Amino acid sequence: MLKTGKTLAALTAGMLALSACGGNSGSSSSPKELKLWHYEGPDSAMGVAWNQAIKEFEQTHPGVKVKFEEKGFEQIQKTAPMVLNSKDAPDILEYNKGNATAGLLAKQGLLTDMSAEVTKRGWDKQLAPNIAETAKYDAKGIMGGDKWYGVPNYAEYLQVFYNKKLFDKYGVKVPTTFDEFTAAMDTFAKKGVTPLANGGAEYPAQQYLYQLALSKADRPWVDRYERYTGKVDFHDPAWTYAANTFSDWVKKGYIAKNSVSVKAENAGTSFISGKYPMFFSGSWWYGRFEKEIKDFDWDTFLWPGTKMTLGSSGNLWVVPKGSENKKLAYDFIDITMKKDIQNLLADNGGVPVAADPNGVKDPKNKKLIQNYQTLAGSDGLGFYPDWPAPGYYDVLVAGTQKLINGSASPDKVLDSFAKPYDENLSNIGH
Amino acid sequence: MTQTLSVPATETKRKPVVRRRREMTYAVYLVPSGVLFVAIILVPFLMNIGISLTRWDGIGRPQWIGLENYTRLLSDGEFWASFEHNIALVIAMAIIPAAIGLVLAAVLFDIIAKRFGPRTASILRACIYLPQVLPFAVAGIVWSWMLAPDNGALNETLKKVGLGSLREDWLGDPKLALYTVMGVMVWVQIGFPLIVFMAGLQRVDPSLYEAAEIDGASWWRRFWYITIPQIRPELYVVLLICSVAALKSFDKVYILTNGGPGNATRVPAYYSWQNFFEKTQVGYGAAIATVMTLIIVVLTAVLLRRQSKAEEDGS
Repeated sequence: MLKTGKTLAALTAGMLALSACGGNSGSSSSPKELKLWHYEGPDSAMGVAWNQAIKEFEQTHPGVKVKFEEKGFEQIQKTAPMVLNSKDAPDILEYNKGNATAGLLAKQGLLTDMSAEVTKRGWDKQLAPNIAETAKYDAKGIMGGDKWYGVPNYAEYLQVFYNKKLFDKYGVKVPTTFDEFTAAMDTFAKKGVTPLANGGAEYPAQQYLYQLALSKADRPWVDRYERYTGKVDFHDPAWTYAANTFSDWVKKGYIAKNSVSVKAENAGTSFISGKYPMFFSGSWWYGRFEKEIKDFDWDTFLWPGTKMTLGSSGNLWVVPKGSENKKLAYDFIDITMKKDIQNLLADNGGVPVAADPNGVKDPKNKKLIQNYQTLAGSDGLGFYPDWPAPGYYDVLVAGTQKLINGSASPDKVLDSFAKPYDENLSNIGH
Repeated sequence: MTQTLSVPATETKRKPVVRRRREMTYAVYLVPSGVLFVAIILVPFLMNIGISLTRWDGIGRPQWIGLENYTRLLSDGEFWASFEHNIALVIAMAIIPAAIGLVLAAVLFDIIAKRFGPRTASILRACIYLPQVLPFAVAGIVWSWMLAPDNGALNETLKKVGLGSLREDWLGDPKLALYTVMGVMVWVQIGFPLIVFMAGLQRVDPSLYEAAEIDGASWWRRFWYITIPQIRPELYVVLLICSVAALKSFDKVYILTNGGPGNATRVPAYYSWQNFFEKTQVGYGAAIATVMTLIIVVLTAVLLRRQSKAEEDGS
């Protein structure tokens, strides 16, 4: 019995030690190894480019092996805080940008402040200001701060993907103004075709809504919303216009009433199958559309009549505080920022942050980069609506679903956005 | 005249010693499961209670706030709304499957097995049990395809048979989504009660049925007056296990609806998870988990007491 007691005590102590938040202890990897995690698929633009970067790293660092562990997005998202505290932490990993993710880890002291390294290696010169904004955090973990906790090497933004075959069939021209855009949607709707692919159960719906708000917004508006630089009024002209217009679009048949339970994946595949003439979504679809759309020609245009569009840096390379191979980690980041890797990213349908458009072969990929440079050059990246508060994504999904099925008025939906936003502000002491 | 049987003193002492020693020997067999119980259930549960008394975002030092999370929970309309949805899931995962399972078990046992042979009954039982074997992550995604508003098998079938007007956005309409989830849950659960009840029916004395038949009792009366009373203990086991499963439901809601549309299908386990991982309000998520655990423990105690009483009555 005594033995059992001891075993129990040891087990309990072990469990408590496992779950306790301790500092990094002991050596996690030998200097001959760089432990790296990311969650990009091997065929994605980032996957292809980073695998090449790993090869180049091993060539330029003889005797050092990169121990790459492929992780799932959810896996890193949900467990990073616990893992980064343990001896299993990698030396470098891809992590989500934003206050509730990288900002939270930075605030808790789990990430390395890379500011000195960023300046020394000149990465700050390669990154446009609104791309850098998501890599820098202040002491409260709010983006746009003074210290670099990550380095992005790709970007993402939203644009309208359109089906040329359906545009020709219904005699619709590519719109260049918002009025033309509305007229185009109207033409389709009157012919019984829903113009916009949408997914109400996930991010597409809230991105339509936020885009409508951004079309009436400016940079200070975005800063207030994303960086808490001032009071946010969810009944201001931009939000009111967005909610009313979105609700109106559902009534007019521009967005399907039955898209409430549709997931992002199904919204994308419905565009691939040629069902919808347009889909406003992210550059992350680009490579996939190139590979999978066989039955019709497609192209893209930026949302017309707006200075700002959803978009930001991609996810970040971050270096955990406990990493024992920080220099090697910086060397790896340096390789990912080099022109050849950046162009490889572009050639595979990604949006590089430091590519040379002249080095990109495919004309479509060139346009993808030019569109990005247009937005980044005019300070037009408006970030994403779900960033301001942890769990805000679900709030926006629930709200936009109510707008689609008409179970709540635009006014009520905006109220439902305000409450958790304000709660978060008081939680973080703003 | 009374006679006292005197037992030698040594024997009176020896017996309890032997019994105690035997009990000690039995206790050793409990050690492995006892250790696992403490390590896997008790310690994490106590830690969860500890965390529920703090404000914590999952990283760094938790901040002690006493019962604040619990007072917040009491006035949290979203939690109580999710609790109502959970009651609907208990109906869909325990009560309806138990009722249907009872009738199906009696039909398979009493009619199909007798007319078409026990093999046919076994095959049918296995078919009905199949959803229990399938991982819900797979079955749930297939269901969501079938229930999709556009090109979903259900709506397409309705259209093909001329019932196009009955097509609905099954998982996207807030008035329908919870009922749709309940329907899927009935499909998932029905096999479990069936298996348990059929096993229970094996031990019912056939002479009871024969006697009732000779007396001219119809099938329905035999079912009502013999089958149900005889397998009452199994009925409580099924209700207990299925109710606990329903109260813990997370994967079903996560896969089918993500708690939506709006929050029309959100249940406490999903709400707790949202607080843990999405909102990084770990302390509040732990408070929800603690309250749900207590509710489950109380419900289990009540049903176990009922079950042992039913067994006593039966014997």
